[in-house]
Amino acid sequence: MTTVISTVSAALGVAPDRVRELHPGELVVEASLAELLPVADRVVSELGGRLATLFATDDREGTGQFHVHHVWSLPAVRTFLRVSAPVDAGQPSFPSIAATYPAANWLEREVMDMFGLALEDHPNPVRVALHDDWPDGAWALRKDFPADGAVPRVEGDFHPFRPVTGEGVFQVPVGPVHAGIIEPGHFRFGVAGEPVLYLQLRLFYVHKGIEKRFERIPWGHGLFLAESISGDTTVGHALAYAHAIERLAGVEAPPRARALRVALLELERLYNHTADIGALATDVAFVVAASRGQALREGLVRLQDRLFGTRLLRGTVALGGVRRDLSSEGREMLRRHLHVFEKEFDSLIELLIDAGTFTDRVDGTGILTHQAARDLGVVGIAARASGVDGDFRRDHPHDAYAEMRFDVPIEDGGDVRARLMVRAREVEQSLVILHQVLDTVPDSPLVVPLPEQLPPWSSALGWAEAWRGPCTHWVATDERGNLARVKVTDPSLLNWPALVHAVPGNIIPDFPVINKSFNLSYSGNDR
Amino acid sequence: MLSIITKSLKTGSLTEANPFGTQPAFGFPVIDFGRCTACDECAPVCPTGAIRAAASGSEKTLSLSYASCIQCRACVEQCTEQAIGISHDVEVAAYSRDQLARTASFAFDPESGRATFARVETQPGPTVAESAGRLRDRIRGRLGRSLHVRQVDAGSCNGCEMEIAATTNPFYDLERYGIHFVASPRHADLLLVTGPVTRNMEIALRRTYEATPEPRIVVAVGACGCSGGIFGEGTYAAVGGVDRVVPVDVYIPGCPPRPQAILNGLLVAMGIREARIGLRIGD
Repeated sequence: MTTVISTVSAALGVAPDRVRELHPGELVVEASLAELLPVADRVVSELGGRLATLFATDDREGTGQFHVHHVWSLPAVRTFLRVSAPVDAGQPSFPSIAATYPAANWLEREVMDMFGLALEDHPNPVRVALHDDWPDGAWALRKDFPADGAVPRVEGDFHPFRPVTGEGVFQVPVGPVHAGIIEPGHFRFGVAGEPVLYLQLRLFYVHKGIEKRFERIPWGHGLFLAESISGDTTVGHALAYAHAIERLAGVEAPPRARALRVALLELERLYNHTADIGALATDVAFVVAASRGQALREGLVRLQDRLFGTRLLRGTVALGGVRRDLSSEGREMLRRHLHVFEKEFDSLIELLIDAGTFTDRVDGTGILTHQAARDLGVVGIAARASGVDGDFRRDHPHDAYAEMRFDVPIEDGGDVRARLMVRAREVEQSLVILHQVLDTVPDSPLVVPLPEQLPPWSSALGWAEAWRGPCTHWVATDERGNLARVKVTDPSLLNWPALVHAVPGNIIPDFPVINKSFNLSYSGNDR
Repeated sequence: MLSIITKSLKTGSLTEANPFGTQPAFGFPVIDFGRCTACDECAPVCPTGAIRAAASGSEKTLSLSYASCIQCRACVEQCTEQAIGISHDVEVAAYSRDQLARTASFAFDPESGRATFARVETQPGPTVAESAGRLRDRIRGRLGRSLHVRQVDAGSCNGCEMEIAATTNPFYDLERYGIHFVASPRHADLLLVTGPVTRNMEIALRRTYEATPEPRIVVAVGACGCSGGIFGEGTYAAVGGVDRVVPVDVYIPGCPPRPQAILNGLLVAMGIREARIGLRIGD
């Protein structure tokens, strides 16, 4: 680790003793507000850093200050770097890095909304998380904001969308209540006939105060809350939270649990990718393929029910390990199912890409260029479909991934087809990983005991590469070792802004299939 | 094309003749009060307050509500007396929050610290049979065997959406029951609402309800929809339960409820199936 510290400190141009190793694979540098942007420049140019998350903490009780934290993934050195700067409570503002690193755009505005810290030099310093009928000063994540009780609504004429002018040009408003069985959000299309000129998003309709809620519950219960951040990413978020707690407590899940966690995360990937591929067929009205996708997905969740007693893998992860074992009969059942699944899945993909009626709709549709994906800091499937390599399973291996052999499929089309093909190829890799787990699952206890209390005034980052992309949880404790702050970052929060760049130039009827090809979580984004 | 036809013929019909009564391994917790010593150790481990313990002088009470139970089984693992078991019944639905809860009283001797089960308290409000009658009167003859449903996500984690969507897959095929998901509340007989009702969805839910023609039945789905669930009640960001915003006719608890439970709840709302709580606390 000392070599990593010297590499990082040299790259940042700071003294080595300013870079501390907090936990394995997690460094921290204390900086001043003025240093935030220059440090970010160096992190990106010298270390190839990518913004993993950005957030604030209210530490006024302890230090009389707020803090702004930038967390960077440094894949080249398999390390995360947190850069933290104090913000004077009497002068609550901090410099933005969004003009140079647009990935910070929404994250910084969320800090502004939830902490009341003003943004300096932000290109668009308007609310993102709080809707317009929230009063000024409702800074929910400040410590002195009451978690309970309704916040009064402000009357007014709200959220002026960018106007459109010109002959035959008009706006199409959609949502928040949509036509399908999906989550709520508002889309505002500016269109000229059918082609979309631009798209504006209004999200955070399902903001339910999850980060504040974490501060109010025992950390043991936090696991169940983590499972409900995004229902389709139960294992991903549960693992990210469990990793953070385990790192705080200085324990590591036993070998069998680490192997089974890999199996759970890959099963979650399988059923979601399969469902998405079926849903893409639905959105272009290819009914046969859609039904087969649904049937394959139902087969997987029923298998999960038989193996673990839960269709959607709830309650399978424990703090310190796993709650459910996989018996040898269970492993055999899983092996047999995957064998049949693989053949069926291959024929589904063949059915889709052999059908001109399908490929006509997905080829060249909803292109997110490589440049845009890189500039916006897009992650997960969406990034890998636009030629941006990155996967925490390989770059920051968690659980038993360091022992697994697998590829990270990259496509460079950036269109719906590319996002479909990334999923299809990831399914292949998931099967490869699952077979490795099934062949080598070690014998050990399922959980390691955790201490009664977490260490006070501590923090740790937890992460997992879930099916949609990386989930990160940054957890900090107070003087009694209770949860003082949990920052949850779902890949959707980093990817939603990219949708706006993939839609213009396409026609409105293609929007559902473009949106589905990203399949971002509203709940994970809004929290 | 030929391969599609061949494959379809080979696959045949996947739809299950009877999707109900599957008895999965984990349903809801059930408390056997004959064994329960009112030690109160289960209540603190419950992440949603579905189990609550209270004491006053010589009486103790323990209550369990399926409305907020997320089926995490923490109580089952905690109970040293093995008084809490797991039902295999997931097709649970009710017409009120009260019907989803039971409270038991114990006589408590503070000196010995021993508690003895006294009785199960009467559930307040109308009984299941009374509520079923009322709902039938409201929809009498108006729906027949056709039901148009508009789904509204009022803050869900999307777990319920996945299971609602699963009811349309070839295995469950809810359209065979005459149930059809429609794109607008103006075409709907029933709103199927999930989530703890966030502040940011409250107005949209109310407007959707107002846009729905009578008899506009409302079904709350999931622990959050029934009570706020893991996200709590009356927080700064969420109201905590659909019935805090619009009147609810049928509650389908679970986190998330399985597809057959959702299907069952819809058939209960149509007056076709009897609501069953399956809550066997001391019953």
